[in-house]
Amino acid sequence: MSGSPKLAVQFEGVSKVLAGRQILDKLSFDVREGETFVIIGYSGTGKSVTLRHMVGLMAPDEGSIRVENEEITTMSRRELEIMRRKFGVLFQSGALIAWLTLFENVELPLLEHTKMSRKKRAEIVQEKLEIVNLWQDREKYPAEISGGMKKRAGLARALALDPGIVLYDEPTSGLDPVIANEIDKLINRLKREHHMTQIVVTHDMDSAFEIGDRIGMFYKGSMIQIGTPEEIQSSTIPEVQHFITGGREGAISRRANTAVIRGVAPGMLSQRSLEAIESEAPVATAEQGYVLLSEEEAAAAALQPQEETEGPVDTAGPRNATPSLEPEETDA
Amino acid sequence: MSWTDNVITRALKGAGFTLVLLLEAIGHSTQIWRRRRAIFTQMHVIGTQSIPIASFFMLLIGMVFALQVGIEFARFGQTNLVGLVLVAAMVRELGPWMVGFVLIARVGSSMAAEIGTMQVAEEIDALEVMSINPASFVVMPRIVALSIMGPVLTVIGTLVGIVGGGIVSNLQLGVTWSDYLRFAEDGAEALDIYWGLLKSFVFSIVSGSVACAIGMKTSGGAVGVGRASRNTVVLSLTLVVFFNYLLTSFYRIVKMFVSGVL
Repeated sequence: MSGSPKLAVQFEGVSKVLAGRQILDKLSFDVREGETFVIIGYSGTGKSVTLRHMVGLMAPDEGSIRVENEEITTMSRRELEIMRRKFGVLFQSGALIAWLTLFENVELPLLEHTKMSRKKRAEIVQEKLEIVNLWQDREKYPAEISGGMKKRAGLARALALDPGIVLYDEPTSGLDPVIANEIDKLINRLKREHHMTQIVVTHDMDSAFEIGDRIGMFYKGSMIQIGTPEEIQSSTIPEVQHFITGGREGAISRRANTAVIRGVAPGMLSQRSLEAIESEAPVATAEQGYVLLSEEEAAAAALQPQEETEGPVDTAGPRNATPSLEPEETDA
Repeated sequence: MSWTDNVITRALKGAGFTLVLLLEAIGHSTQIWRRRRAIFTQMHVIGTQSIPIASFFMLLIGMVFALQVGIEFARFGQTNLVGLVLVAAMVRELGPWMVGFVLIARVGSSMAAEIGTMQVAEEIDALEVMSINPASFVVMPRIVALSIMGPVLTVIGTLVGIVGGGIVSNLQLGVTWSDYLRFAEDGAEALDIYWGLLKSFVFSIVSGSVACAIGMKTSGGAVGVGRASRNTVVLSLTLVVFFNYLLTSFYRIVKMFVSGVL
């Protein structure tokens, strides 16, 4: 069909039992070509297992997985090896080979799978390391660099062979907000400039909303909702709401420069929080005083003079969550 | 399923996995030239860096062995024959064995820990995803390096052990160097030397593939890596003494065949 988008990855009724636990339970979803599909869900519930199925590192007990319309569950090892070249994978810890420098790590896939000259390889490695801003650290070993740098180097390696599909396993976990933002921007840039299909597993909601074309909420082995970031944000499914708000009573961003919370922030001891806990109030909505702003709005709001009034009303001035040494606000 | 069944199943599974991994590594030995850098690195780590400890070990073993034999032989006034017994024991048993033990303790354990850490840190998965077979990239260079350096170290260790025995014979047992060497020459014939090298080659392959296989099957973080390292040492030692018995029995048959008894 010419009208419908091409599918990069399709999961149909995929089930997997690991150590007696049903990790995947008739999991079905598709990822369209060129989109960024974000899988959110609780830690340790099988999101990474889903990714491993996608590249044939694990085989499902039942169900069908297709990558660019080819069934991968029945492939031989050799066929899988060829199929995997469509993918670049960024592992949670970067998974760099410890005894190779960053340069050699990025060069590795080129060395193994192409017949390029040394000069050509060096050019590509330079290009990829510059994308992630690590060219100056190329001679370092993984043990000598920080976790964030390892992830970025892992991404450079994942991109080395210009894959059509890139998988990210928790790309922003364990990173400071600034680096996390950088990774998000990079993901968006790869989509924009290279039209890569990207599948991101994360539980960082800021990141999910920032990068996702569509978001799928993974819960108890299957997708309980798939939709655009807006659809997910306004989801009426309690599990989804609970997850995206971090179980707190408002949609709260931890990332300083992407969101501003209007009204009173629900501190541990604030009256509203206690009331909410007692009444088991589900989730705060915009009406209740919490608004998630876009980056531009947040920047604009941050420039306005700050006012603060007591009480859970929407008339309070904007509060920028950026940590500051100065007293955050004084009563007007 | 009773626990004995469970243990047997696990042992068989483990043995199967190890064997498949070894065969796969052997299958990838066509890539020896391509992986020469990794192989040389491993040969250095496994071999060159093991020379001091293996030599020290063998020197002392040679000395102690000569002393003990000297005590008994003195009763019959045959102290001159110390060299003969020592060389026979060194070449056929002590050399391959003790060097094997040193390699298991020094190299096998760290190899399992290294590969185990790679497994835990998803590096092995990363290789698979990049369509780089870990059997070729990780396992083959290590087993090749070990199977070359094991016999080399055995030769060095055995020579050092014989020298150690000579020093003790000369200084403490009063045997002249010329007597010691004259009888030492009779201690081993070509077959013994080849057999000693064969043993050391087999021990290297056994301990190398055990270390790699256990490393590849590691799970459970730092604790898992520790467990992998310990299991490697225990299992490798057990298998080495077992294979040693088999090889010695086989040696006896070959020896009888060669000398015309069979």
